[in-house]
Amino acid sequence: MTEIVREVTVTPAERTVAAGRDLRGPFGVALIALACIAPLFLGNYPLHAIIIALIFLLPAHGLNLLLGYTGLLSLAQAAFFGIGAYTSALLAVHFGTPFYVNFLAAGVVTGIIALPLGIPALRLRATSFVMCTLGFVIIGQAIAKNWISLTRGDMGLAGVPKPHFALGPASFTVSGTVGFYYLVLVIAALATLVVYLIVRSPAGRNMIAIRENETLAESVGIPTWHYKLVVFMISAAFAGFGGSLYAHYLTVVSPLTFQMYYSTTMLIIVLGGGAGTISGVIFGSLLFVGLTEALRVAPELRMIAYGFFLLGLVFWFPNGFAPLIGRFSSFLEKRK
Amino acid sequence: MNGLPILDISGLCKSYGAVRAVDGVDLHVDRGEICGLIGPNGSGKSTFFDCVTGLARPSAGAVKLDGQDITGWSLNDIAREGRMLRSFQKTVVFSALDIEENLVIAGQMFTFPGILSTFGIGAAARNRVAALRDRARELIKIAGLWDVRFQPAGKLSGGQQKLIQFASMLMPEPKLILLDEPMAGINPKLIERVVESIRLANTSFGVSFLIIEHNIDVVTSLCQRVVVLDQGRKLAEGMPGEIVQNQAVREAYLGG
Repeated sequence: MTEIVREVTVTPAERTVAAGRDLRGPFGVALIALACIAPLFLGNYPLHAIIIALIFLLPAHGLNLLLGYTGLLSLAQAAFFGIGAYTSALLAVHFGTPFYVNFLAAGVVTGIIALPLGIPALRLRATSFVMCTLGFVIIGQAIAKNWISLTRGDMGLAGVPKPHFALGPASFTVSGTVGFYYLVLVIAALATLVVYLIVRSPAGRNMIAIRENETLAESVGIPTWHYKLVVFMISAAFAGFGGSLYAHYLTVVSPLTFQMYYSTTMLIIVLGGGAGTISGVIFGSLLFVGLTEALRVAPELRMIAYGFFLLGLVFWFPNGFAPLIGRFSSFLEKRK
Repeated sequence: MNGLPILDISGLCKSYGAVRAVDGVDLHVDRGEICGLIGPNGSGKSTFFDCVTGLARPSAGAVKLDGQDITGWSLNDIAREGRMLRSFQKTVVFSALDIEENLVIAGQMFTFPGILSTFGIGAAARNRVAALRDRARELIKIAGLWDVRFQPAGKLSGGQQKLIQFASMLMPEPKLILLDEPMAGINPKLIERVVESIRLANTSFGVSFLIIEHNIDVVTSLCQRVVVLDQGRKLAEGMPGEIVQNQAVREAYLGG
């Protein structure tokens, strides 16, 4: 499966840094400023689309660690997304625990569940591993549908409360779109920071080494098996956090949260944005989630248009949009 | 230093079904020695290497590294110790990464022994990585790859990749390096550079070597002792000069 990312040379940005020019700082600051004032000029519907995009950014970040950096193609993100959503929803509905408890529990529980799933799955190579992760999604959906005493089956769990924060006498409920937008924005920013720190650490370099050549990585002393397992768990935890936000935002979870469609969406975000780059994945989640929302103007043609868009992407930008962003920034640099 | 050999192998066997690829080979490498391993194709040299370095599990026999029994350890267990490293017949580098990154990765697990420590952020981890980079740059200079150090390793020539691989193996300061045909498929000028690098590592860093090589000129000029394998068995052992004269060796390998 590593072939998928074989052509991606390591983060063009890093080479840019090596050559002594770096535009990411100014770009990043501009983007953050823009994100902070977005509610001033965006209506509720575009904000809703961005919220969904930022929620999907979390599992996409996780998948990027797994696929883009470690070279493992997994379709299990939707399963972990669903597990996170159900964990949060069950805690909130049955025990009335506050949002931050549900949120943290979703990530931790999902990460732990990934351990027994990862141990057999990661023993498989390439295509078999992909098929196995696909199985997780189907099993997850079957459990959510049929364990009716716990999940209420197809009826789903309704009434998941909007996030509520209480600090001493002050309490605050995030109910409106704008409030939720800022909540998700902060969490997405933190998640991006965590991914950045992982990727820049020696561990990130070891992950890239595993992606490039697993046997060679082993021969230089990298415990590849443990790495793959740890990254699989981290990537699942990211999906779990995303699922928790999803549950608290929509206030309803149903077996439809375990959708193959979500796994492919996350895959499209990572591959289309640019596997093995952080900026590419952020761009990808905004673009692809935004695109499916924008195409709602023509409901009948929506998925067909989306399909053609993806075909075009594969033909013209086989490495995703990240190389394009890199070329654009070096173009700007040359003009200076 | 004690007189124990750095690598001591006794009665090593490896069978695949009825085929005995390696059949009771004894071999030792002394400290500071460059030992050659030659033999016709299919004589079991690479299988022998695989068994010693943990890529394959020997059917019988014992491997002692520095007095410690490491028989049956996995490639990763042995590599993580950092005392004995090996190269592969088919040169492999981390193609998408530049030379410096390749070398830093090769040294990393010995600077950050635990998995969790590799997630380390903060000044301590940064200093350790900086130290690795310094050592990597030094080795890149020695290997004569300074001018191409920012290029992806996969874009470089086969010979240059061999040099990268060799420099990578020096990162963790090993005591013993096993080279599988280090001269195969590289041009004569680079052969000289690889030979020089091996000599330098041997004299300056005190690394011992066990080298599989078909280029008999290289073997005679580089090795202090040569072991000949044929059909999985040890055919002869001795100084390079004696081996070239040995009748049995000439018939089996050197072509009369």
